[in-house]
Amino acid sequence: MLNALGIINIEDSTVDITGLQSYRPVSAISILGRYRVIDFMLSNFSNSGIKDIQVYCREKPRSLIEHLGSGLQYNISSKKGSLRMMFGETSGISDVYNHDIANFMSNMQYIEENDKSYVVIAPSYMMYRANFSDILDSHIESGNDVTVLYKVADNAKEDFIGCDCLTLEKDKRVSSIDKNRGKYKKRNISLEAYVLSRTLFIELVKLASETSSLYWFKDILADVLDKYKVVGYPIRTHVSCINTLSAYFKTNMKYCSLEGVSELRVDTWPIHTMTSDSAPVTYGTNSSVKNSLIANGCNIDGTLENCVVGRNVTVKKGAVLKNCVILPNAYIAEDVKLDHVVVDKSAIINHVKKLEGSVQAPIYVKRRDRI
Amino acid sequence: MRQNNMVAMILAGGRGTRLLDLTKKVAKPAVYFGGKYRIIDFPLSNCANSDISIVGVLTQYESVLLNSYVAKEQYWGLDAKDSGVYVLPPKETDEAGFEKFRGTADAITQNIDFLDQVNAEYVLVLSGDHIYKMDYADMLNYHIKKEADATIAVLGVPIKEASRFGIMNTDENDIIVEFEEKPAKPKSNLASMGIYIFNYKTLRKYLKADEVDPNSDHDFGKNIIPTYINDGKKLAAYRFKGYWKDVGTIDSLWEGNMDILDPKSGLDLSDPGWKIYTGDVTDLPQYVGDDAHITNSYINQGSVVNGTVDHSVVFSGTVIEKGAKVIDSVIMPGAVVCENAVLNRCIVADGIYVGPGVKIGDAKSDKIELVAKNVVE
Repeated sequence: MLNALGIINIEDSTVDITGLQSYRPVSAISILGRYRVIDFMLSNFSNSGIKDIQVYCREKPRSLIEHLGSGLQYNISSKKGSLRMMFGETSGISDVYNHDIANFMSNMQYIEENDKSYVVIAPSYMMYRANFSDILDSHIESGNDVTVLYKVADNAKEDFIGCDCLTLEKDKRVSSIDKNRGKYKKRNISLEAYVLSRTLFIELVKLASETSSLYWFKDILADVLDKYKVVGYPIRTHVSCINTLSAYFKTNMKYCSLEGVSELRVDTWPIHTMTSDSAPVTYGTNSSVKNSLIANGCNIDGTLENCVVGRNVTVKKGAVLKNCVILPNAYIAEDVKLDHVVVDKSAIINHVKKLEGSVQAPIYVKRRDRI
Repeated sequence: MRQNNMVAMILAGGRGTRLLDLTKKVAKPAVYFGGKYRIIDFPLSNCANSDISIVGVLTQYESVLLNSYVAKEQYWGLDAKDSGVYVLPPKETDEAGFEKFRGTADAITQNIDFLDQVNAEYVLVLSGDHIYKMDYADMLNYHIKKEADATIAVLGVPIKEASRFGIMNTDENDIIVEFEEKPAKPKSNLASMGIYIFNYKTLRKYLKADEVDPNSDHDFGKNIIPTYINDGKKLAAYRFKGYWKDVGTIDSLWEGNMDILDPKSGLDLSDPGWKIYTGDVTDLPQYVGDDAHITNSYINQGSVVNGTVDHSVVFSGTVIEKGAKVIDSVIMPGAVVCENAVLNRCIVADGIYVGPGVKIGDAKSDKIELVAKNVVE
């Protein structure tokens, strides 16, 4: 077990996955058929040996609580590890006060009482593979105060909008932190993932709380760049930033390919998730499926092309789905034609026979909608 | 509170010689079935779904994998405080030294201490190698209502096949009056499914007597049940309606898998009301490639399919490459079917590699090919 407390952080209002986010936190959004967004970071933590984990949640915790359970599925021992869900008590009057600092402050006792020397913080909406054991070693060896993970992005005009970006000196020390407003193509995008000692973390959280009632952790960090040695650590694997419905859609599509699947499927780095004990997929006599990622329990008798399909989805004969992300338990009736559509959980598409969106603006069908 | 104090004992010691190489290294109950499962998942899931909390699994042949598998009681939700799966292989004892199970009844006899300890009132004896879904709680209610000493689940089989089974002849109240093992001229078509409920107190006496009987084969069908009948004990027949199959041969294992693809067979593994549970594989959803053509099939997560799959059952971790054709076949976990290979009516064992262009099996033949060794060309 690593000598670090893992913290899955919440995300601020720059992350806006229209529709999907109305029902659950971003961390609990279903992705790539059988997963939830948080599975990727939790698997990073667990595979790296971080087995003492706090998961923060801003609102609507139900689906997240259900999904996390006791943590056994993430390879966290029921005796020697801990996966705790931390819910801020102070969300209160306005959403702007419901930031990570408020959540850390209201759970401060559990951070102070923790026995680990270091803290690894990361939000769930940034999806990538990272070995935090190596990163922690490098952090300790370097003697830096804070290590910030970043990605050199060459698509910062379209993606990562609203994310922090770092100005780095030659020795990778962070000299300033700005917002990516899509002006430049190439930026060092902060993954909002930090490694630092637990004492410094507590100190910075308290300082943030005293400085401004609107501060997030990333704001206080930008304030103390002169005082502390904050150094960037580049992540070289692919990073998906799931901060809009379009980005969510594109991330699903990216991994819906032979290359995408091989990239995710690393024997030494499994992606853990909850099982729902669904049966294998049943393909009917009329099914025709190309380039699709399909979770268990589905019953497919229609046509699928470039689709990511969640658990227990039914696609009837004559239905044609192209470039769609279908969340669990949805039902697509006969002869329905969908293109660039995100269908939320348990929706039934029956009488509307045609929906067509685009990559930039996929159509969203609400949870439990009957259309 | 305990739902009932019926303890299930699953007989899972058999080798299953007729499954040939599939049971060379694992016991028959651990053999894969239905895209995702092992055969023993069926009785274990039935127990869990019937609210039975204590399940003993009697293992013997090649039991290392089976023992460690069934010990993961959380797979089937048998992990609550008062429940558990107990692995019961033969053991060395003070009185008898080290003795293996001499028969199905002896396997239970050797675990009388266990049944005493868990305070069993009823004992449900099951076989670890049948595919079916049954509510044992319903069978227990029937057993209690009939005030029977034992109840045997029976299945109506076509009369011309009845001579392959143990046949129960009953009176008009479904009380068993005679038991005939594989009769040449069957008087009834009620075949024993190898599923028994016994009142433990009575069974204990009979097992103790059977243990020291030098002429006994220590078998339920051959010895215990006939003795019950001879002694005038009340044996009720519990008529089961539904899918049931002994998948003890390559042909029947293949047929059982094909039955999943037939909506009329009665074998529906996708029913959320009676799930079959199993060990989950940490793997991605299945990926279906641009050149895939899948019809009428049952395919598990973690597979990558880019060829033609028709009327087949495909397990996790498998790869079906472009141009490959898998027809009327069963592809077990981790098997790879390379480019342009053609499989007809095959069972491909787990981890097997079928090289490019290899052709196995014949669509016109009745024979089912077992592919248990890598085939390069």
